[in-house]
Amino acid sequence: MFGRSRSWVGGGHGKAARSIHSLDHLKYMYHVLTKNTTVTDHNRNLLVETIRSITEILIWGDQNDSSVFDFFLEKNMFVFFLNILRQKSGRYVCVQLLQTLNILFENISHETSLYYLLSNNYVNSIIVHKFDFSDEEIMAYYISFLKTLSLKLNNHTVHFFYNEHTNDFALYTEAIKFFNHPESMVRIAVRTITLNVYKVDNQPMLHYIRDKTAVPYFSNLVWFIGSHVIELDNCVQTDEEHRNRGKLSDLVAEHLDHLHYLNDILIINCEFLNDVLTDHLLNRLFLPLYVYSLVNQDKGGERPKISLQVSLYLLSQVFLIIHYAPLVNSLAEVILNGDLSVFSSKVEQDIQRSSAKPSIRCFIKPTETLERSLEINKHKGKKRLQKRPNYKNVGEEEEEERGLEDTQEDADKVKGTEGSSKGIKASGENEEIEMVIMERCKMSELSISTVTEQNTTDEEKSAAASGSEMTNWSRPFLDMVYNAQDCAEDDYYALFVLCLLYAMSQNKGIDPDNLERIQLPAQHAEEKSSYNHVLAERLIRIMNYAAQPDGKVRLATLELGCLLLKQLVLSKSGSIIKDVHLACLEGAREESVHLLRHFYKGEEIFLDMFEDEYRSMTNKPMNVEYLMMDASILLPPTGTPLTGIDFVKRLPCGDVERTRRAIRVFFMLRSLSLHLRDEPETQLPLTREEDLIKTDDVLDLNNSDLIACTVITKDGGQVQRFLAVDIYQMSLVEPDVARLGWGVVKFAGLLQDMQVTGVEDDSRALNIIIHKPASSPHSKPFPILQATFIFSDHIRCIIAKQRLAKGRIQARRMKMQRIAALLDLPVQPSTEVMGFGHSSASASQHLPFRFYDQSRRGSCDPTVQRSVFASVDKVPGFAVAQCINQPNPSPLSSPSPSSSGSGSTGHCDSVTASSTSTPSAAHSPSVDDSSAPEQPPMTFSSQVMLVDETSSAASKSVKNPVKNPEVETANLSPSLIPAQQPTISLISDDNTDALSVESLTLVPPIDPHSIHTFSCIPQSSLPSEVCGVTEGEGSDQSQQADYDEQ
Amino acid sequence: MAYAYLFKYIIIGDTGVGKSCLLLQFTDKRFQPVHDLTIGVEFGARMITIDGKQIKLQIWDTAGQESFRSITRSYYRGAAGALLVYDITRRDTFNHLTTWLEDARQHSNSNMVIMLIGNKSDLESRREVKKEEGEAFAREHGLIFMETSAKTASNVEEAFINTAKEIYEKIQEGVFDINNEANGIKIGPQHAASNATLAGNQGGQQAGGGCC
Repeated sequence: MFGRSRSWVGGGHGKAARSIHSLDHLKYMYHVLTKNTTVTDHNRNLLVETIRSITEILIWGDQNDSSVFDFFLEKNMFVFFLNILRQKSGRYVCVQLLQTLNILFENISHETSLYYLLSNNYVNSIIVHKFDFSDEEIMAYYISFLKTLSLKLNNHTVHFFYNEHTNDFALYTEAIKFFNHPESMVRIAVRTITLNVYKVDNQPMLHYIRDKTAVPYFSNLVWFIGSHVIELDNCVQTDEEHRNRGKLSDLVAEHLDHLHYLNDILIINCEFLNDVLTDHLLNRLFLPLYVYSLVNQDKGGERPKISLQVSLYLLSQVFLIIHYAPLVNSLAEVILNGDLSVFSSKVEQDIQRSSAKPSIRCFIKPTETLERSLEINKHKGKKRLQKRPNYKNVGEEEEEERGLEDTQEDADKVKGTEGSSKGIKASGENEEIEMVIMERCKMSELSISTVTEQNTTDEEKSAAASGSEMTNWSRPFLDMVYNAQDCAEDDYYALFVLCLLYAMSQNKGIDPDNLERIQLPAQHAEEKSSYNHVLAERLIRIMNYAAQPDGKVRLATLELGCLLLKQLVLSKSGSIIKDVHLACLEGAREESVHLLRHFYKGEEIFLDMFEDEYRSMTNKPMNVEYLMMDASILLPPTGTPLTGIDFVKRLPCGDVERTRRAIRVFFMLRSLSLHLRDEPETQLPLTREEDLIKTDDVLDLNNSDLIACTVITKDGGQVQRFLAVDIYQMSLVEPDVARLGWGVVKFAGLLQDMQVTGVEDDSRALNIIIHKPASSPHSKPFPILQATFIFSDHIRCIIAKQRLAKGRIQARRMKMQRIAALLDLPVQPSTEVMGFGHSSASASQHLPFRFYDQSRRGSCDPTVQRSVFASVDKVPGFAVAQCINQPNPSPLSSPSPSSSGSGSTGHCDSVTASSTSTPSAAHSPSVDDSSAPEQPPMTFSSQVMLVDETSSAASKSVKNPVKNPEVETANLSPSLIPAQQPTISLISDDNTDALSVESLTLVPPIDPHSIHTFSCIPQSSLPSEVCGVTEGEGSDQSQQADYDEQ
Repeated sequence: MAYAYLFKYIIIGDTGVGKSCLLLQFTDKRFQPVHDLTIGVEFGARMITIDGKQIKLQIWDTAGQESFRSITRSYYRGAAGALLVYDITRRDTFNHLTTWLEDARQHSNSNMVIMLIGNKSDLESRREVKKEEGEAFAREHGLIFMETSAKTASNVEEAFINTAKEIYEKIQEGVFDINNEANGIKIGPQHAASNATLAGNQGGQQAGGGCC
């Protein structure tokens, strides 16, 4: 072994006779140490290098040669380290020593080596050494050293650190002194050390922890957490314009860290530590600060308070993270059932078993520092143990505990029947440690209320749950929770309340009986026959507000409300919702349909948005825990996306977002309503995966139109295929060898997502791209097909192009009709794309079949300026006509007499008109009419018709004679009547009620001269339409049929 | 020792991929890598120079604390940079990267710079994960990538320093809020004063640019 090692190093170092890694070298190092027992400026470097080398040799020895270790121990070399340390030898040496120790304890792999190192008390001496902790590097090395040691703790090694006789546990007590160190990494290390200690299942050690350190540590920890909470609250209250968000999110994250840490302690499940911790958390923080602030917003007073929203938010976090039953039960009990008396010692008739002092739940600063408390406890140690023999004897205690546990279970069962007599002790003075050891059986009976709920009927329960009928029984916290659900002004508080209720209902630690009192069922509740009417009504009211056009309810609030309502009224056998509530809910759903109708547009983007919202809603259901990690909801709800706040957590901004919101509200309420009526969803999503043609399907293609083509993919692959166009999809097939006239699908893609463009120098070729709708907002749109199709001649090519174009329009129109059906709008009977005939040939010369809104796809044509709602369908003759609430549409349904023959059909009022490629028409309009949102809507369509042909004007006038003068004016001198134009601005639409104008885009060519007349219209016309026109390469036509819904 | 900035790093990855060895390799040159000695450390600090500025790197190994959710959470949050390490001779350590990354992204602040490191590149004969795979993974998830060997010290220096450069650039761009220590960045003692004034007009100006 030596030989090998020596020769290896020798090779590397040439002359070096002695291997660095060898017993000999260690002996030499020992010699150096004995010669330099005093640290001076001269030998400092030598000493540091010596210590460092010793580390290296020791680790090498641990891995290769155990005799090295024997020598180290035999010579007691650790003493040299300690000796050097005690000379105040300065930072340089200190850091080296700490690094050495770190490396030593981390890399030692043999248990025995570890025992050797720990066997004398040197390590503890080093732990208690007073280093210069103001030096951040020494601090970091020191705490890492303790952390490394704590990772080595187990039932055996713990004895090297914890001395039962002297009540010493330096590793732990020294570490916790840094629990509030300003450096976060140090705090994290302290938490790690404590958790590593609690994890060791050594009863005497844990008893020591509880009796001597738990109260000082936990009371200080709780105070520390509370101080952060106060700071957090300050941050919320002093916020202006959301400027504090950065700091706020740190403070929130810090609070979450603390809760997770507390939870980590609690789930180690060391019962008696948990008791002390629970006691402190409840009586020193959660109750006096969080819960107390729920009801004492206005009053001044001595007690520290936080604002309501912060308190609700933090309590939700508590219930989401901590599931330790005694803690969460007590807390829930007070919130749901308690009153203010829990804060006054007088009312509380606690029999203080271990202390005569009155207990006041109070958020107060510990009377002395943690360090001092630890000091005192240490010295008091022995004496107290004698006084209180209960905690001295381990075996005894364990038995006793088991007994207590049973008692508690019993107590839980009959909870509520004897509630008033007991309560939790708050801790006394810090040094009076034993006093605060909690009586576990009292945990669940915090409530002062003496109401017996054992034999009440459902009705009574319901009344009790509402809290209103019961005299002499005030439940201020619960009342507050109910009241804060009011969303008339905004849903600032309502969101938190819903989160809180949700978190409580999901909490595994809370006894279902506890929740049952307010008839808030736990997630998987048993059979039930009644539910909390008050809560249900409040929830339905939120839904009602959400469906209002100017509702100030955020989507997150609504989604949470839906979740809660479902939980409330769904039992195993189905919905138990009362008819009257269901009716109210149906009302809300109806409202949401009305709301969405205002936004229903013929434009392509509406369909895309509709489907996209559905996808993102179903793919990403709300995660309440994540929601409650977001600090931004602590600030008042805002509308602007400039804050970077998620769409669902703020109000909509602009019409696009308002549309998105309306769509989502519609989806949520529809799904809720179907759910509660126990009906399956048959309409959504619009495209169901299982209905689609898939690759390798075999289709009967007899009598289908098939066009042969060569498909050249982007990577150069080339295949022969037949192109077939179905209702929703295009597919590429190859003949099925088995059956004549059948084909095997090799590719299938949705027509609606297809983009077809001609190839400039090849009239036989088309470029086709089909994008897959993005599954998440972060992923890039991914083309599932990107290929050039080459046909046998240009005729086939044009046919294919037309067929695809037509198919695409058709597919989209059918979907739009299905949406219309969902919204109870009359459905267009015509399923065929009309007017494709004459115009298409000419149009296709000019028109690249650009099916996609360029701006949306990110292509950057600088000349293109259009609103998001811009019409994107450049296919002539396409119209989506709409009739809304039109009682008698028939007289007007004659086909539009468009001169160009591209007669799209407008039913009812919506008419298609044609316009030609005069760009002037396109450019005159602008978005500026957004300034007049309240102008009376008028039947725009008739005007449009007029421009085209007088006959159409005539036909219009039949229906709407009142408008006739206007129409005529428009025809003669359009510039005179700008003020009369309907404002259909999507941008300025402040009042969606007043203006429900459906836009319609359609674009057959018209005579150039008529455009002149037409040009007045854009003054007031839809920006979208206008922009749509702008986009065209001189061949754009625009047409608009709008009308008011009344 | 005076420094302009202090960057806190964490090292994450499966056990046994050589995290603590990398750390020791980087922070302490005096420990020469030797074939029959495996030696690592859980904490280390070292001064480097970027753009003429002294920058102190403080690196915390998170090993052994995975069982406590609160601890990993806090570690991620307190760091400005993370080295995500796998072992090129063990496929499973590579397969676990996604989980590590998810965790990191979930808990860290969004600006944290993450470097992917394929360690033990000296063991070419036992290689199980191709370099290209590491590169592809890094590209896909927007990480910087490097293969290193703690044994031969190859690329170790670069890995830590490139990460620091990235963080430094982000500071220059104003992405990091340097006055918020929760981000894992600390302004050096002698910079604190000058930065207090800079904090106001930070943005267009290069923070700390002319103050030393």
